[in-house]
Amino acid sequence: MTTLFNRWLPGVTLLAWSAVLLSFYISGRIASFLIPAFRVNVLLAGLVFLGMACCFLFLPAVANCCDEERCGHPLGRNKLGRIATFLILLLPVVTAALCSPKNFGATTILNKGIVTDAGGLVMRKTPQKLAQPAAPAIASNPAEPALPTKDGSQPAAQASPAATQTDADNYLPKSKEGNIQLQVLDLLYAAQDTSMRADFEGKTVEVIGQLMPAEADLAGANRFKLMRMFMWCCAADAKPIAALVEAPEKPTAPEMAWVKVVGKVTFPVEGGRTIPVLKAISVKQTEPPEETMLY
Amino acid sequence: MLLGSLVSGAVEAFVPRESITRWLPKNYAAAIAVSALMGLVLPMCECASVVVIRRLIRKGLPLSCAITYMMGAPIVSPVVALSTYVAFRGQNPLEMTLLRLVIGFLIAVGVGMAVRDIPAEKLLQPAMLDSLPGRRRTGLSMAVAGNDSTLDLGGEGLRGKLFRTVQSATSDFLDVTFFFVVGAAIASTFNTAVNQNLLIPLATNPALSVMAMMVLAFALALCSSTNAFIAVSFRMFPPSAKLAFLLFGPVFDTKLFFMYGAVFRRWFVLSLGIGLFIVIALICNHLGLILNI
Repeated sequence: MTTLFNRWLPGVTLLAWSAVLLSFYISGRIASFLIPAFRVNVLLAGLVFLGMACCFLFLPAVANCCDEERCGHPLGRNKLGRIATFLILLLPVVTAALCSPKNFGATTILNKGIVTDAGGLVMRKTPQKLAQPAAPAIASNPAEPALPTKDGSQPAAQASPAATQTDADNYLPKSKEGNIQLQVLDLLYAAQDTSMRADFEGKTVEVIGQLMPAEADLAGANRFKLMRMFMWCCAADAKPIAALVEAPEKPTAPEMAWVKVVGKVTFPVEGGRTIPVLKAISVKQTEPPEETMLY
Repeated sequence: MLLGSLVSGAVEAFVPRESITRWLPKNYAAAIAVSALMGLVLPMCECASVVVIRRLIRKGLPLSCAITYMMGAPIVSPVVALSTYVAFRGQNPLEMTLLRLVIGFLIAVGVGMAVRDIPAEKLLQPAMLDSLPGRRRTGLSMAVAGNDSTLDLGGEGLRGKLFRTVQSATSDFLDVTFFFVVGAAIASTFNTAVNQNLLIPLATNPALSVMAMMVLAFALALCSSTNAFIAVSFRMFPPSAKLAFLLFGPVFDTKLFFMYGAVFRRWFVLSLGIGLFIVIALICNHLGLILNI
């Protein structure tokens, strides 16, 4: 019996953990749980677990776990308790690996709290605008009061909100139809950056995200939220982020469905702050992107 | 966890018992201070540090120094400093980073000093204690490790030591991961099934906001190297509450509550949690008033 607890069960446990990690890495499911930079660690950990398991399964290695004198597990006082200990080590991990969904559900997303303001986010990678030479700064939102200059005078008149040709048009990625391809994150950052707003405002863009209903105070005019999960490190710290979409008619896609929205970017001031609102031309249900998370 | 287990296994196989305290200053206070700073050279997240200190205690590291390292390493580390600075860009990052590191260091030293005169029998789990047949006092007295039941197939050669590393690492991993799985299950339930927006109304009251963020840090059980990014996202909360989140989470959260139980007696774990909660809440509240943060 000691051999079972000191050699075979530890070996099987290590093998199971190895199998879970390697299968997540090889199948690509790890993309829903970890940022790209850390994924190779999963491969390494899976291989290390495999090597350790081999030491137990093919060499007479022993671990002083769940033999009566040395084990610190609270259940390890009798044979059944010791078996239960290994079940707790094995079952949750294997069950989660087999049964956990690829995406968060709507309730979970609401519980985590949807972020609609880039001030609560930290940039992992440089937004599209900042990677390029600065475009002419155009404060393009007529509804937003201009900040006074240092001497207290009002700044010069602002440019027209109409779409303006900027350098950004030359480097922003475009779809086959010629629409600028943006992420929800770009819209949130643009709402806080005058020059980024100038790059996007009035342009026809396409954005992919999951459809979520807007809150009561933001609802009306067929508005909904276009949501993506933003991950700093792993799924545990992922936060839902969303921009508002104003559609010509109530969208037919169900809640949490992946949709591609083509529309014009606007930045109205609502509730005292500038927010991005995408005036949709079309809202079509689509396949999830290869990377469902934003980093 | 795996890295911590491998480090722990390597310590068991490659580090002689008598050398573990050789680098510690003879002066007690200095030894505690050095232990609190060990995270700068041996950076470990809070989970890994629990695994490592079990082995270090068995190898003879004074218990108070081991606890100090366990409290300090998840905060006083270059990885945590960098992530805090990056997360708080545009929100006084240097101030927040320095406050986190300095107060984290002081808390670790304070805990180390507080447990100095408590006998190991009152602190350690019986199973841990059984592996320390030597002197069982804390302070700078050594608890000499006993014989390990793992096999030494390869004698003193490198192959034998590597084999021993694997055996010890597996023992440590299985011992602590059991508690990690239980704690992680509870934390993930809170993370997904409980509406975190319920805490937002508490943000306007300075004292309540500090405590609310500490409760959240306990429940979410995030890794100390990334929790600064989550703290930043709670924009309605004052910096003092975010600081409390950054200080309390890495030293006491849902998973740590269970993982500490693999090493320490339940009364000590509870006392540690309550004590840390009160001290960190008081510090952050006062800092909020003094520094107006």
